[in-house]
Amino acid sequence: MKFKRQIFGFMDMLRFKKMVPTRRKMLAEGPNTPLPKEYRTNVLAKKLHPGYMQVELTAARFLTDTIRELTFKRIDTSEFPFFRAGQYVSLQMKIGDSLVSRPYSIVSTPRQALANELVLAVENAGFVSGYLNKTAKVGDRFVMTEPSGEFHYETLRDSHHIVCIAGGSGITPFMSMAGSLADGDESYSMTLFYGARTAAQLAYKAELDALVARCKELEVVYVLSDEEQPGCEKGFVSVELMKKYTDLTNSTFFLCGPQAMYDFIEKELTSLNLPQKAVHHDAACCSDLSMEHPGNFKLTVHMRDEVYVIPAKANETLLTAMERAGLNAPNKCRAGVCGFCHSKWLSGSYRVAEDRDGRREADRKFGFIHPCVTYPLEDMEIDVPPAY
Amino acid sequence: MATKAKKAYDVVVIGAGNGGLVAAIRILQAGYSCLLLEKHNLPGGFATSFKRGRFEFEASLHELNDFGSPQEPGDVRTLFRDLGVENKIDWVRIPEAYHLITTDKKYDCVMPFGQQAFIDKMVEYCPESRKSITEFFELCNEVRDAQTYSNSVNGNTDSAYMKKTFPNFVKSGSYSVNEVLDALNMPQKARDILNAYWCYLGVDCDRMSFLHYGSMVIRYITRDAWMPKMRSHEISLALDTRIRELGGDIWYQSEAEKILADDNGKICGVQLIDGKIIETRHIIANCSPHLVFGKMLESKAVTEQMVRATNSRKFSGRGFTLFLGLNRSAEELGITSHNYFIYDTADTAKQYDLMKKVSTNHVQATVCLNNAYPECSPEGTCMMYFTTMFMSDDWGNVREEDYFKAKDRVAEDMIRVFERETGCKIRDAIEEICVASPTTYARYCGHPQGVIYGYETADWDSLMPRMMMMKEDALTHPGLRFAGGYAMRSSGYSSAYISGDLSGRQTVGDLKKEARGE
Repeated sequence: MKFKRQIFGFMDMLRFKKMVPTRRKMLAEGPNTPLPKEYRTNVLAKKLHPGYMQVELTAARFLTDTIRELTFKRIDTSEFPFFRAGQYVSLQMKIGDSLVSRPYSIVSTPRQALANELVLAVENAGFVSGYLNKTAKVGDRFVMTEPSGEFHYETLRDSHHIVCIAGGSGITPFMSMAGSLADGDESYSMTLFYGARTAAQLAYKAELDALVARCKELEVVYVLSDEEQPGCEKGFVSVELMKKYTDLTNSTFFLCGPQAMYDFIEKELTSLNLPQKAVHHDAACCSDLSMEHPGNFKLTVHMRDEVYVIPAKANETLLTAMERAGLNAPNKCRAGVCGFCHSKWLSGSYRVAEDRDGRREADRKFGFIHPCVTYPLEDMEIDVPPAY
Repeated sequence: MATKAKKAYDVVVIGAGNGGLVAAIRILQAGYSCLLLEKHNLPGGFATSFKRGRFEFEASLHELNDFGSPQEPGDVRTLFRDLGVENKIDWVRIPEAYHLITTDKKYDCVMPFGQQAFIDKMVEYCPESRKSITEFFELCNEVRDAQTYSNSVNGNTDSAYMKKTFPNFVKSGSYSVNEVLDALNMPQKARDILNAYWCYLGVDCDRMSFLHYGSMVIRYITRDAWMPKMRSHEISLALDTRIRELGGDIWYQSEAEKILADDNGKICGVQLIDGKIIETRHIIANCSPHLVFGKMLESKAVTEQMVRATNSRKFSGRGFTLFLGLNRSAEELGITSHNYFIYDTADTAKQYDLMKKVSTNHVQATVCLNNAYPECSPEGTCMMYFTTMFMSDDWGNVREEDYFKAKDRVAEDMIRVFERETGCKIRDAIEEICVASPTTYARYCGHPQGVIYGYETADWDSLMPRMMMMKEDALTHPGLRFAGGYAMRSSGYSSAYISGDLSGRQTVGDLKKEARGE
């Protein structure tokens, strides 16, 4: 082929030869002004996703016999990130020689976060929550991860009307969702069924009643299993009970509570024939395995150019072993799903907690693990990035 | 607190993106020690995947260009073969080139791979285009051969040989895509259809160099595009595994904050955000010169030349992607293609202008992965991802309290446009949704303004002069080379891998020279 036309001719070669000198000139003649240190989009990314935050406990009060409310402020800067109501943070602290973390749903609203206030409510149920419930005091400092998690309303996925079912301390994310709705930051209408054994175990009843009074899109139904009380339903959160209050067929369900509640509600919901997308549950932490005589193993942990050899137990996750040894291993959800603890397996067999293998396909192929849901079956060696 | 790493390294690679991963392997294959630093906890940069419910989403890859079949490998498959990772990955072939839809001219064209098939299809859509489209491919083939020759002599081309063997390469080499198509007398409709790939390079066809576009199109059309079955995360982990096999070190969650220089301005190390110092004299930066010269390199080593050169360049598009997991199959929903380009207008310059504002941008490059790899999601479901770019910093105007709503507005518009243009109703089938905005890209990869395409390859800064100036550009900053989307080859998976290959091998050359005392 002859590539030739009027606009191409004797000038073509010259034009081609000029490309380099032209570029050389343009590079040399760029402004000699200082390069930017910040970019707006990156500043916003840092605000929304600060990674780890330094926080201080500013107030604490008991909501029930076993649930303690903890209010925090940020001390590394003057506000928390705006987040999605329903999300959690993970709180890290040193207890004895252990460096431990636990995720807790945020009670306060995204607007409060901008006013440098973030509230959690912790039930006295284990090693860390027991510490937070009994020992932690105002003025104590902690490291907190940025708000995370997929348990929140999605405008383009969920129905306009949401049915929220809380069991016990599972009320926490719904406090934020109800509050955010009342603040005008959410577009749904919400019916909340809040189950507890007795009225005395309802945390936040006064706060919820106040929210209902100022937000017409919010309805709250208290359901007590063990006693009759005026203004409360008696029994369990059954489909029959829910139907008295709302249309269940055009709703998206959000569930947060103990496993027994999930089992009960899911059985109840089968009669409605809902698609999978209509029901969301908050993830629960992966716990120890119950074993009579758990074996003791050696866990070798590489962190950058450091190597640690620490004890591990057959009934405890690799993450728990690292926390006991005071290693600063990354973790957020402790349920196998967020991938934040993603680490390289090097040797030794293991098992993953049932139904909690949230790894990507290629992670399994190339030997990567989520230590938060992985139990050792023998001595193991892993390569873990430092949390910070 | 400043602590020193136990070991010094011949080379430190900053950033485990596509370029950084390949560069690290090249260093290690040559027998030098290498540490790869990554601020996130995963390799790959944009080349990754994430899970939501029962779906594992591809984060960014639409198709791997220039890959080719095992028998007729493209440049990237050949590179992967040399790196020792080709067979660590299960590949699936992409079925068709693209499905172009434009709102203004009502185009709805499905284009196949294969040069002859492509030409025949084009003639079906535009009967009077056979001659010009055939000539276009002849020209592209010559461009490709010239580039192959140039690579084979490491850019030290013999100009008399070039002029004699590839006369059209040189003649067309300084013109834009549209200037060349003008010269070929290509009918407007054929041009519109042919230019559909432009958004993959992020520059309109009035300003994009023909050499750049032509060399991409010929690679797409004549060599198959492929995809790893386990999303691009499979490639990234295969590269991670290869680095470990070769004795390299990788530190995740380890953000490099400073590039240290001695009193003569020579590079002597890297400092992490927690203060840890790693000694090295050679750095390959898989990040932007804007960050390196603006924030990372110690100011005493930053020269006026570095600042001027960096300031002279223009950021390319800022990325935005919507990911949907749908609870019905592609077939049930009527989604027939793997790869849709949906434009407001077939006029690329006009479209580029519309993309400057978030509110006027309705472009989408949309993939339904199940149409290339049906098993990528559970039976009875499918996965889609919709990508667009903003050609200005308009997204920077979004306020923190409005952030989630701003993402929803763009996502909703993408769904509306897709439904309107294809007739496929997807909204009620959304089971999982995730939105990545420029803020998300800024968060994970640190790129200024959430740019995903590096520097714009338009006008004076087009691909050809960049390649011709590769050596002299690197002289500005001895001991430091760039890989990834901001490097000489510009953005895109294939280009980023190749930039890592180039910078890795060039750094090996630097080390050898150093050993010889040069």
